[in-house]
Amino acid sequence: MSARPLYLDRQRQLLRALHFFVAAAALYAPALARGQTPTSLPVLAAEATPIGALPPVALPMPASRDHNYWGTRLQVGQRRERGLEDLLAVAAGVDYQVRGGSIFGVTAGYQWRQNCQSTNGDCGHTLYGARARFNLITGGPTIAGVLGDDGATSTLGTELGFGFAPDVNDAQNACTLDVGLPLSIAMLERLHLVTFLTPGVVWDLDCSAGDTKPQRSYFMGFGIGLQQLGFRGLDVNIGVQRMFRGATGVQFGVTVSWIRLP
Amino acid sequence: MTLLENWIGNPRLKVAVAVLCALGVGGFAGCRQQIKLWELPPEEIETTLFLIGDAGEPDPRQVGPPLDSLTAQAAAAPERSVIVFLGDNIYPAGIPAEGAAEWADARRRVEAQVRAVPPGAQGIFLPGNHDWSNSGPFGLYAIRLQEQFIASLARGRGVRLLPGNGCPGPVSTDFGRLRLVSLDTQWWLHSFIVRDSVSNCPVNTMAAVTDALRAQVRPSGDARIVIVAAHHPLITGGEHGSYCGVTGPFRRFGGRSQDIMSSGNRTMRDSLRSAFAGRPPLAFVAGHDHSLQVLRGGDEVDYLLVSGAGAPAKVSCAVRLRESYYVSGRSAGFMRLDIMKGKGVLLRVFRYPGRSTGALVYSRWLEPR
Repeated sequence: MSARPLYLDRQRQLLRALHFFVAAAALYAPALARGQTPTSLPVLAAEATPIGALPPVALPMPASRDHNYWGTRLQVGQRRERGLEDLLAVAAGVDYQVRGGSIFGVTAGYQWRQNCQSTNGDCGHTLYGARARFNLITGGPTIAGVLGDDGATSTLGTELGFGFAPDVNDAQNACTLDVGLPLSIAMLERLHLVTFLTPGVVWDLDCSAGDTKPQRSYFMGFGIGLQQLGFRGLDVNIGVQRMFRGATGVQFGVTVSWIRLP
Repeated sequence: MTLLENWIGNPRLKVAVAVLCALGVGGFAGCRQQIKLWELPPEEIETTLFLIGDAGEPDPRQVGPPLDSLTAQAAAAPERSVIVFLGDNIYPAGIPAEGAAEWADARRRVEAQVRAVPPGAQGIFLPGNHDWSNSGPFGLYAIRLQEQFIASLARGRGVRLLPGNGCPGPVSTDFGRLRLVSLDTQWWLHSFIVRDSVSNCPVNTMAAVTDALRAQVRPSGDARIVIVAAHHPLITGGEHGSYCGVTGPFRRFGGRSQDIMSSGNRTMRDSLRSAFAGRPPLAFVAGHDHSLQVLRGGDEVDYLLVSGAGAPAKVSCAVRLRESYYVSGRSAGFMRLDIMKGKGVLLRVFRYPGRSTGALVYSRWLEPR
């Protein structure tokens, strides 16, 4: 018995991939160019809570409707180009995917200012969040036709997140509420390559004072990930995020998540 | 210097962008499924099982792929070929009452499939929800009419509807070391009459069907291969799994028994799975969703195959699930299982139109050689 592997349409697929990433980069570059010169050093609520402190993640991969899945997540994110200090955050989370679709998760982590010179101990703070991500439309034929991949799957969803971070600036607490409309496109068979966009809006609040008007910021995340990386439940996402508000810089980070399959 | 220039000039971000690009391009270049063209010595193949479903909408003018391709493959070795039609053999509503305007067209649809079974090969038709008069009150009688139709068209050849007479099954058929267990899953989901005074089914309650199935998936002999065939899948990334299109997420609220998310469907699937516990069949094969899917089965069954793309006019969307090995959602096709003598079961998926290298788009050893 003999096996003869065929490498199908490699060049055509490669060209399509390059076109796709060039298009995605073109979409994102103008947003970067519009960034403004830093005007303030305090950490904004939107930067201090998970929506701004941690990198964006692709929508969950669909799974069997027969099961609910527990998962865990580790995230590392760095917010750069925001002024004097970069912000680094690490977090862990637990996710619950309901019947192979929507996912609900909680996150806890810590964020600190890099190279912080402060002596009064306000160089870092904890952060907490809760997030619901709903897969609204999961399909594929159109995307599959464009990408030439039978199994290409596009998922349009919506997400709702709440974030809290105590003692961010001079004992002020930060709270955020965010709403997003993420889009993910997954392709390939053996290892799934997923590209995602996470546009949304976040309202940040000063939870301590309570008399501050909510401030609204728009944001856009972009990233790619590898799903089922060696194991069916293991995903790795790399994401960047830009918040369209003053000196908030650029967020970049990595998320490693694992879903337990029955 | 603008933020963009800063960003571009930053060495660490350059590294990050390089990693992103490498992952993307590398993913495309190295992670695409490679098709292996296994050349099996014909004398080592014991049985070849063809799986095609939802083929009840053939072109009225000509026999095209995938039916004609399946026939050509089966005709190469008809004595060891078994073609399983996985239900929905006649769209839109099975065989109507005699005298109805749709009667002749219904006959034409099933005739095209019976003729696709080459002389010497065996054909097994499973009932689907459309065969049960599209889940309507005439369903039981439509199934009996289809059974008679198939028998008359077969003219003594090994082509039949299983389970017959509107019974739920299971019905076991042994081909060498393969045991094929046929089920009528629409019997579980039907909202109208499922038995009458002439039914005479060996089992006629859900519990009894489950018990009989539990017994039949445990044949004696270590080398036996068990494949359970039915119309409704246990897992699917297609429309019946509440995927695809704007209405997908809301289908779960519709309570349609044909959909995975409905309670009736869930009850059926849980019962079937419970029968498999402790002795998982090699594969549960089904149609229903008009796509080609190879999925990981889990604890109760090793593999789940959805081969419901038998009619080019009916093909529809399927999405990749975390359990998916292979998905093709917009092309007609069928699956082929070669059961080797001694050990080894090779799955091959054929799709039309195929890729530039041919119709074979996926292969996998379900039982290693």
